[in-house]
Amino acid sequence: MDKGSGSFGSLAKALLPLGAVLALGLGSLAFDLTLSWRLPSDADYAEVAGALRARARPGDAVQLWPPWAERARLFVTGAPVLAEEDLATADYAGIERLWLLALPHVPHGGLEGARASLERRGAVRKGEGQGFGALWLEQWDLRAPPLVSWLLPVADEAHEVDYVARRCAHVVVGSTVRARGGGAALHLRAGIIGERAYDKERPAIGVQVTVDGAPLGTVTVPPTAPPASGWHALDVALTPAAGEREFAFAVSSSDASRPFCLSAWTTAR
Amino acid sequence: MKPGSRALTLGLGFATAAALAVTQWNVGFVRDEGYYFTAAQSYEEWLRLLLHAPLEALRNTERYWSYNFEHPGLTKLLFALSHLVFTTWLRVLPDALSWRLPAFAFAGLLTHWLATLGLVRSRTTAILAPLLFWCAERTFFHGHLACFDIPICAMTVGVGVAWARALGILEPGALGQLTKEPALAPPSGDAPALGQLTKSEPPARARVWFALVYGCALAVKHNAWFLPPVLLVHGLFLPDHPLLLRRRALQTLPFLLLSPLVLFAAWPLLWHQPLRHLGDWVAFHLHHVHYAWYYLGEELRAPPFPHVYPLVVVALALPLPTVALLFTAGVRLTVDFARRRIEPLRLLELALAGGALLPFLTGDTPIFGGLKHWLAFLALLTPEAARLLELAARRAAATHLVSWPRALGLATAAALLPGLWQIAHLHPYGTSAYGELAGDLPGAASLGMQRQYWSNNVTFVLPWLNANAPRGARIFFHEVNSESVRAYQLSGMLRPDLRQAAGPADADYAALQWHREFRDREPETWNAFGTRRPAMGLYLDETPQVVVYARPGMPGAP
Repeated sequence: MDKGSGSFGSLAKALLPLGAVLALGLGSLAFDLTLSWRLPSDADYAEVAGALRARARPGDAVQLWPPWAERARLFVTGAPVLAEEDLATADYAGIERLWLLALPHVPHGGLEGARASLERRGAVRKGEGQGFGALWLEQWDLRAPPLVSWLLPVADEAHEVDYVARRCAHVVVGSTVRARGGGAALHLRAGIIGERAYDKERPAIGVQVTVDGAPLGTVTVPPTAPPASGWHALDVALTPAAGEREFAFAVSSSDASRPFCLSAWTTAR
Repeated sequence: MKPGSRALTLGLGFATAAALAVTQWNVGFVRDEGYYFTAAQSYEEWLRLLLHAPLEALRNTERYWSYNFEHPGLTKLLFALSHLVFTTWLRVLPDALSWRLPAFAFAGLLTHWLATLGLVRSRTTAILAPLLFWCAERTFFHGHLACFDIPICAMTVGVGVAWARALGILEPGALGQLTKEPALAPPSGDAPALGQLTKSEPPARARVWFALVYGCALAVKHNAWFLPPVLLVHGLFLPDHPLLLRRRALQTLPFLLLSPLVLFAAWPLLWHQPLRHLGDWVAFHLHHVHYAWYYLGEELRAPPFPHVYPLVVVALALPLPTVALLFTAGVRLTVDFARRRIEPLRLLELALAGGALLPFLTGDTPIFGGLKHWLAFLALLTPEAARLLELAARRAAATHLVSWPRALGLATAAALLPGLWQIAHLHPYGTSAYGELAGDLPGAASLGMQRQYWSNNVTFVLPWLNANAPRGARIFFHEVNSESVRAYQLSGMLRPDLRQAAGPADADYAALQWHREFRDREPETWNAFGTRRPAMGLYLDETPQVVVYARPGMPGAP
């Protein structure tokens, strides 16, 4: 090594610690100070809310991404706002078109992952999408079979199961709930509301389903053990029949103290 | 000690306390403060009884001191004394400020002691060490609270300083002169700086002082239980030649037997049936509940917790330059220890930092509360981190490409500005703060980290409620406990006519704090109010913190 490169090396070595501190400090500061540019303003939300009011139709819903970005609820009134966390398995019952409202530039936002999840369930993206400042809106066709009847809940009721607000009816354990409806397939969802779902010491809760008095299937809801979902599903084809049928959902467990939630609907296929 | 050194460390301490006092006005009352304010009110009643009827006060200690039996008396006694003097008698301070005043004093002491440790290296390090600790919203926020976290952090460092003084290892120059030795490596040899330590035995009063300081730590919080074993290990690792340091340490430790006197004196609950109350105190913490805590997308509810949990939280919550400096400091101390090239004082800092963190690495200890339970771990690494920062500037200055003042100014700005920005941007919402490694708050939300805790963020929505809620309206305050609600009303931050509701069903307004484990409350509110559209909320960098719903038809409802 010649003298020049040696002195350059020692110079670089002497400056390296300060250079590292400066790089970290300035990099951090630049990240902090530019964060607001990557976040939507009230005006961005107002604009996208106006667009949704104009474009959304019955059967549409808005899915937020990341799901924690719920400030949108202050602004968006054109369609129901959902904050599902797993877009591949989310129910989206009765929803034909989904508007994915995203913050594409937030750290660890994972918008590509959200799109991949929607594709996994067979949804198809319509068009290119549109930016509204730091917001991004794109339309997805869920290609889901059309809804025939909402069996449960009968009113607009929601409860949290496994940290997601679900459209479901609070049902007393030990009771039987009846509902009438047509359709070619029954979709049942069940879960324990709140933190008691994770109490490992509690027994499972069972739901026995009958249609016109004949057994159709059973859903068993054990204590939730993440990463397994606490929202349990039964999707079953119905034998063809004319007119409406009577469904009965019998909920039972040796421990009736936990709040329990049921959601059921039928579809055309 | 150089002339002016004590003035420097005390001046920094006073500046810290003053900075906290002038920035506390909008810091919400955290859940625990609600309990400690209530305790302080009860203890103040006892103090007034003590002044007027001492015998009756002595007979009735249990009646006044049983509330919040799970924590020793010193800090709460100071909160009560401060309120008695400055609010009840002199009427010069509002309630919250007088209760919090002793906490600022502890924060000032922490700065003073950190600067004292730093001063052993240089005056620059003495200034930088406390700055590195306080220039982050998490630590700055905790400095404002009438709680025990900063006090026990301060007392841990204080015990370290008192121990070092009792052993005679707190000598300026004991770690080598930075100006003469800009290289990062310390002097070579097994006990490199021992020759510069004093050869005379430290006076006995230094040992008594050490015992008193430890007694104060014991009377602040149970974290102090872990200190004697740490000090014993430190003492056993010290060399016995040429200064008989190990012997000094083993002769100093028995002075800890004096420390329970402070605990008893500062905690009148122990004056009757002390064994029963001590048993209750210990049992409470041996069987402490585990609160649900959100960590990397998983809700942690019970042991075993991830061993790396505390380190990950530190890395994600603090500003990145601070994390990098503390990490480098920790690694450097550990490597020097492993190579037996560590001076007694640096070994003490490493031991106390490790001792503060160790219980939370086991996977069994309750891990709630962000990083507040191991603040001493951070604090005790700051003198070494500050020294590294200074050395980085000195190395650069030695090239003559940049002057020493400019190099130091650049290094200090780079290390502290992200933290200062965090404070300016997020204060007083300290439990929500995350650093650049997490991607700030939005990144932490996506990673699935605890959004906030202790409910103090509710202060943002109180002015809106005061302006909109009709007289006597019922508010569901969710995580805010009744004690804190009363404190907000007492301080004028919340209208006194507003009433607390037990849940959304009997409320006109609901102020929901975003917690993963309480997600059921929002749909419950939708069902009760018949709307899913919030009226307003606190959203920090878009992340929901406190969301307010108003029953349709109520003023302010959307």
